[in-house]
Amino acid sequence: MQKVLKVAQREYIETVKTKTFIFMILMLPVMILLIVYFAGKLKDSGSADRPSLKVAVTDLSGSDQFRTQIEASFEKHNTDNPGRKVELQESQATEEQEKERLRRGELDVYIVLDKDVLEETGKMHVYTHKAKPPVIEALWTVESPLRDAVFKQRCKEHELSPDLVRSLRNLPIERMETGSTGGQDRVQSEGDRVVKMMIPFFFMYLLFIGILTMGQQMLSSIIEEKNSRVIEVLLSAVSPFELMAGKILGLVSVGLTVVLLWGVSACAAAGWQGLNLDIGPVILTYFILYYVLAFFMFGSFMVGIGPICNTIKETQSLLKPVIIMCVVPIIAWQNIIRDANGTLARVLSFFPLTTPMVMILRLSSGAEIWIVEILGSIVLLAASVLGGVWVAARVFRTGILMYGKRPGLREVGRWLKQA
Amino acid sequence: MDAVAIRDVCKSFGEVRAVNNLNMTVPAGSIYGFLGPNGAGKTTTIRMIMNILRPDSGQIALLGDHSVEQTKSRIGYMPEERGLYRKMTVRKVLTYFGAIKDVPPVELTRRVPQWLERLDLAKWADKKVEELSRGMHQKLQFAVTAINEPELLILDEPFSGLDPLNTDMLESIVLEMRSQGKTVIFSTHVMHEAEKLCDSILLINKGRAILDDSLANVRSQQRSHAVCLELEGDTDFVSGLANVTKVKSEGSQLEITLEESADSQELLRSLMEHTRVHSFELKVPSLHEIFVDLVGKSDAEGS
Repeated sequence: MQKVLKVAQREYIETVKTKTFIFMILMLPVMILLIVYFAGKLKDSGSADRPSLKVAVTDLSGSDQFRTQIEASFEKHNTDNPGRKVELQESQATEEQEKERLRRGELDVYIVLDKDVLEETGKMHVYTHKAKPPVIEALWTVESPLRDAVFKQRCKEHELSPDLVRSLRNLPIERMETGSTGGQDRVQSEGDRVVKMMIPFFFMYLLFIGILTMGQQMLSSIIEEKNSRVIEVLLSAVSPFELMAGKILGLVSVGLTVVLLWGVSACAAAGWQGLNLDIGPVILTYFILYYVLAFFMFGSFMVGIGPICNTIKETQSLLKPVIIMCVVPIIAWQNIIRDANGTLARVLSFFPLTTPMVMILRLSSGAEIWIVEILGSIVLLAASVLGGVWVAARVFRTGILMYGKRPGLREVGRWLKQA
Repeated sequence: MDAVAIRDVCKSFGEVRAVNNLNMTVPAGSIYGFLGPNGAGKTTTIRMIMNILRPDSGQIALLGDHSVEQTKSRIGYMPEERGLYRKMTVRKVLTYFGAIKDVPPVELTRRVPQWLERLDLAKWADKKVEELSRGMHQKLQFAVTAINEPELLILDEPFSGLDPLNTDMLESIVLEMRSQGKTVIFSTHVMHEAEKLCDSILLINKGRAILDDSLANVRSQQRSHAVCLELEGDTDFVSGLANVTKVKSEGSQLEITLEESADSQELLRSLMEHTRVHSFELKVPSLHEIFVDLVGKSDAEGS
């Protein structure tokens, strides 16, 4: 056991010390902080110097009064949004000529209003040509003033006051969260709701990233030992099983470090932004259990894959199926939290490779999960860890000294039979 | 107590019999040469001793113990394929291997600088292993092997890639270890190294032992029937003497081969009757010649 700990310690220190690891650890939180920071900045300043959108409007209803209304509406928009100006161009030409200008890039957006646009049946046609994302994103700056103009014009024709109609439609909504006792009700901000939605995904994604990091480090460590031929020297001091156990232990700690650092910095960032994470201690305990078991399970898989290969490149093809299984919950996460006790969620909970990620999703979704299912999935994971270690120990022992051609499945099967 | 005892060990890789019914006894406190041509099964045998490979059949006992895992911290093994962690510093590598060989940390802080000093590596202590030259890498590898001050050292081709100075340095360390009562096994196919250091040798070819004895016995039994002479005056009469089968002359030197049963003293007596003898030397076969002879014979038998 002493030796296992020493191997684990070296493995951990040598991994954590590498520049790529430190860079990777720092990159994500720094990126998140930068995004949060600049997103706030951008919202404040409203960014003054965006080029104005060149727009032409052909109004087939042909009313001069309406035309004035449109111009007034755009003018109002330009005063309200100095950073998002719209340049309304006179349009006397035919539709085809205007579309040609659109193709030549003289116009960004070209609008055609149907003849019956003021009679509730007509449409507004918005033309763009190979529009770039900033134009698509800014289409509302063209559409909403026009919608406003149409609304006002329609009101005028029905002799209604636009302000009255608007105030009749108005109903403010306040979303509240009741506290655990009375009198603690508090208003839910938009941020709170986004956080609520994202928490399950975040915890699952954290596990995914942790597994990837650990796996990569594990494989490169094994391949390095194999290629530098240090393995035989190691085996003169420790048994293959001790070496393997040390590696798993060391790299599981690396994975947990990643999760811990990012988890803590995410919570800190959320706190800084005044967002409420609100996870109970019971769920947190389950999370830790799932994280640890998941790392041990994937760790033993990786330690079984490494010795079969001679180069990092060879490991990639064997790693692919494992990663694909991890991606399944990432693709299906919304379905799983929406229906946390549905068939899909339940089936994936009992497939070892997806168990931890899916269970974390289900638990953090807030749905009531039958305790037998939770305990069952934990037992299943623990059994997979033992099975994984059993297989890995046999593959590791034989594979670690093999050089040259990568053995096929049948060959590896033979190793498993050898005691 | 024997440092290593191997009984009827066999190991095959697929169709190839790498080691065939090998017996080997290494007495404690000696230097034991493990000789053989390339591909004879030396490395396979050593790996089985270290429990890195498992024998198909037979028994291996180390330092009187059948469980190698229990004795690993009392053994130092330097494999033929050298390798160390390239990104770690010299000092850290040495400390790490000391630690996993159960050397207490306090002891390590004393031994690590001591070994680095002794092998002229002190200047490089904080350099990364990948910055070392091949010779220095080799010396560090030896330090890693010896850091636990093992009772039994197993060195697979220890001197390959070393210059004469460093070879002398390692040889003197090996001899010193024997004087401390330690056992050293080393494999080589360079015979003059074995001749210089070994107390006993085991010669194997194609996985079988073909010679297993002390070096002194090997020498006396493999005594050749050749004599080197320097005589005064005309030497033509020599080929006419009794028991002489072959005469080869090189300037004033003569090399005479006698019949197997002949006594060299008889030859000397009859020479003295004819002329004055300037020099008379029984030619002792070198290990090299014995090696070539025995391996050649065993190859001929095998085919």
